This record gives sequence, C-alpha cells and structure tokens, in this order.
Amino acid sequence: MKDQDKKTPLYQEHKALHAKMLSFAGWQMPLQYTSVKEEHLTVRNKAGIFDVSHMGQFFIYGKEALLFLQKLVPQDLTLLEEGKAVYSMLVNEQGGIIDDLIIYRLPDQNKTFKFLLIVNASRIENDLNRLLNKKNNYDLIIDNESDKLSMIALQGPRSSEILEALGLIQENQPGKFKVKDINLLNMDIIIARTGYTGEDGFELIVKNENAVKLWKKLLEKGENFGLKPIGYAARDTLRLEASLLLYGQDMDEKTTPVEASLNWTISKNKKENFSGKDIIFNQLLNKNINKKLIGFKMLDQSVPRHDYEIYIENQTAGHVTSGGFSPCGNIGVGLGYIDTQKPFTEGTKIDIMIRGKFHPAEIIKRPFYSKN
Amino acid sequence: MTVDMSNILCTKSHEYLVEKDDILTIGITDFAVEQLGDIVFVELPEVGAAFEKGEVFGTIESVKAASELYLPVSGKIVEINENTQLKPEIINEDCFGEGWLVKVAEYNSEDYIEAMHYDQYKDFLELEEEEEE
Repeated sequence: MKDQDKKTPLYQEHKALHAKMLSFAGWQMPLQYTSVKEEHLTVRNKAGIFDVSHMGQFFIYGKEALLFLQKLVPQDLTLLEEGKAVYSMLVNEQGGIIDDLIIYRLPDQNKTFKFLLIVNASRIENDLNRLLNKKNNYDLIIDNESDKLSMIALQGPRSSEILEALGLIQENQPGKFKVKDINLLNMDIIIARTGYTGEDGFELIVKNENAVKLWKKLLEKGENFGLKPIGYAARDTLRLEASLLLYGQDMDEKTTPVEASLNWTISKNKKENFSGKDIIFNQLLNKNINKKLIGFKMLDQSVPRHDYEIYIENQTAGHVTSGGFSPCGNIGVGLGYIDTQKPFTEGTKIDIMIRGKFHPAEIIKRPFYSKN
Repeated sequence: MTVDMSNILCTKSHEYLVEKDDILTIGITDFAVEQLGDIVFVELPEVGAAFEKGEVFGTIESVKAASELYLPVSGKIVEINENTQLKPEIINEDCFGEGWLVKVAEYNSEDYIEAMHYDQYKDFLELEEEEEE
C-alpha cells in the first residue's frame, strides 16, 4: 500500500468486507471481495455495487456554459436536453483525447445551464487545467466538487428493483442515459442511469458524509436480490466484455476519437468550431488515420494482456491495449490498435505474441458481450 | 482423490512437492491458488524438457493476471497433467490432488531441503501475514 494514497469515505466498509485493496490512480480501492469471476457474474445476472468515489465531478454553470463546453468536445451539446447525459471526450488542438467523460445536463430552475462532468480520477488535474485555460471571459462558474462527493454505481439487471426496495419507485427512476436530482432516505442524491459494465444500472452521487449510509442501505435492501459489492478486477473484466475503453490504456492524448473507433461520439453536423475539429473531421470523412482500435478474441485458451504485440502473417501489425479473460464468453478477448496499412476488418485472422509464441486470434465485432 | 497431507512439502514461493518412487509431483499450494483466483489457462512445458532450480517452467493465467511458475528443483519433466489443459479449474478445486502440474525425475533432493511440511508452511504463512500488518 502506498502511504500517500487517498481513501474514499467507504474505505472502512471495504476493510470490514475483507476486500483486497489496490492502489489505483492515487487511491486505495477494493480489488476484489471474493472472486473476480463470481463478482463478474453477479453483475451480469443479479446486481452489484461499486465504490467509484475516486472519480471527479465538475459542475459548470452559467449563461455561457453551453457555449464554452461546445468548444471542447466533438459532440453537439445543443442537442443535449435537460435531464440527459452523453458520453463524450475532451479533445486537444490536435484532436487527441485529454479524457473521456460523461456530460450530464442537470435540471435547472434558473433556466440557464448546469452541467455535471464526471471524469477519470487520474485525469482530474489535467481536465481542470484544460477547462481553466479555456475559460477566458465566458460567463460561467467551474466548480470542482471531486473531494466533497462520493459516488456509488449500482449495476446489473436487478438494479431497478433494488432502488424500488429502497423507496424509489420505478416511475421516479431516471430512464436510460437520463439524470435526476432526488431525495431518498433523507439524502440529496444525483442519480443517473449510466455505468461502465454494459448492464442496466445507476450511478448515485452523494455528499461524502452520506456515502456510508447509502452503501449500507444498498447492501441491506439488495441482499434479497443477490446484490454484492464488486471490486476493480471485476470492473475491468466487465467493461472489457462491454468494449468500454479505459483512459490511459486504450486511449490517450496522442489518440483521436476516430482512431479509438469512437466515431459515434462525434456529431458530424456540428457547426460550431471545437478543438481539433479540422483534424477529427478530416480523419472521419477521408478515413485518413494510421491506426485504429479493434476488438479480437483468442482462438485458443490463452489470455491476451496489455502491451502484447499483434501480428498479421508474421509481420508486426499493432499492439494490445486491454486484454483479459471473458467470464461470459469463456475465452480471452482484447482491444488493441492495428496499423491501418494492414487489414483490420472483422474476420481478419491475427496472432498475439504471448511469451514468445504466436497464439491465433480473430478480429471480431464489438462489444464482446451484450445483454440482448 | 484424497491426499495424504503428511507427504506434502511446500516451498516459500508456494509450490509443493510430493516424492514417490524417485518421481516428484509438483503443483501450487492452496494459498497460491487463493491468491490467483479463478484459473483459466495453464501453460506447461514439453515432456523431456530440463530445468534448473528456480527456472520458469510454465505460466498460470487467472481471470486477474498471468503468473509464472518456478520449478523448485533442477530436473527433467517426465509427465505433465494434461487434464489441466482442458479443465484448468481443477487446480482451484483440488490443487493437491487432481490439480497437480508436472512430474519431475533426475532431481537432487538437496534442492528442496528447505521445503516445509504442510503444518509448518501454515505457520510460515501466518508469520508472513503478521509481518505484513
């Protein structure tokens, strides 16, 4: 354990549940409580809760908040209605991804704009610097609440029933990719129907002082539904099966959304200028890129891991950025970048170099797991 | 399969050895298995391969990560457990029995003079844990 690591308000709860802890992005987070596979399947079949309090929350509000954010992301935020959320990314002048994030447009009685940005823990400082550097004279306030707020993700097919057992009836729950302010069990909660597992589920944001109460209530009421606490090892296998990218591994400042195969996050008709727009649109329209993110599965029982090399017909063709064993598919799967001089369509046979030997794999459609 | 634990010797690096008729059966201990979690793939050497003590002779992949296997003696591989190739989970279920890994011949028993009986190994694990805390 690293002494300088921060602890979330739920740290003692994890210890009491005998979690193995890990150092992650400068935080002590639970790696696993029981077994990765069991925790993984619990989320797929029932429900699980995750402590994601290390993540960053920025509130941006004011008359020009929309105008400001429009300059920083490839998504057209004028299309984002009140009470809705969108997956997007902060991009730099070269179109490189500074961070991936979810932008929530919160309900606002003052009829101005109020956005919540949920960002990666490891990128809080970079993101904040980016926002402050671009703020100029825009009429808005940037409020970094990351250290004051905790976040618990409730994920899995039984999540909605569990919230109902807590007193939030289904018709008062936000719909998919929507967000609400609620009061539940005397706590003010921002609740969104978003997540990082490929399952239906919610993310609940509360003040730090309410985190333990919410965590315990969820575990208590969720028990009848098979709810369990889930650690970071299973969080990683879940997001990998759902082909959700991990910042710092599957993308970075030298990767554009087009290279990361995130074309769907780019609004092709966006009129306003935004950082890196020319480069991103040129890549998008002319398919003018040197590398591209693909998904693959192993054709034997081996397991691909981060940084392994990809070969096509005995020639080096790229590298694995995320890899692991898919508990649902019972096979090794991975994400990686292929040199676009090489074939990279679905069905292409590739080899992964594992401990000095070629292991056969095939490029396949993503996601590797879909609940339908 | 029931295992007579009194014949099992464990190393500080969490392999075990059982000697019978000049053949050593080698696997990983229950503690190692618990640390690894769900095992999904095992890479074992070719029969006939020779290794020095402490050399990597294979790899175990769990859902979590890849871990290398170190041979606790110098010797020659005379048999590998083929069942682990199709059903790696038998290592999780029965590491001292069905889940053994390799059999080794032409070894020198002085190589594992420091290996512990299972109850000593348990004491050793407890000491390790205390030191960590």
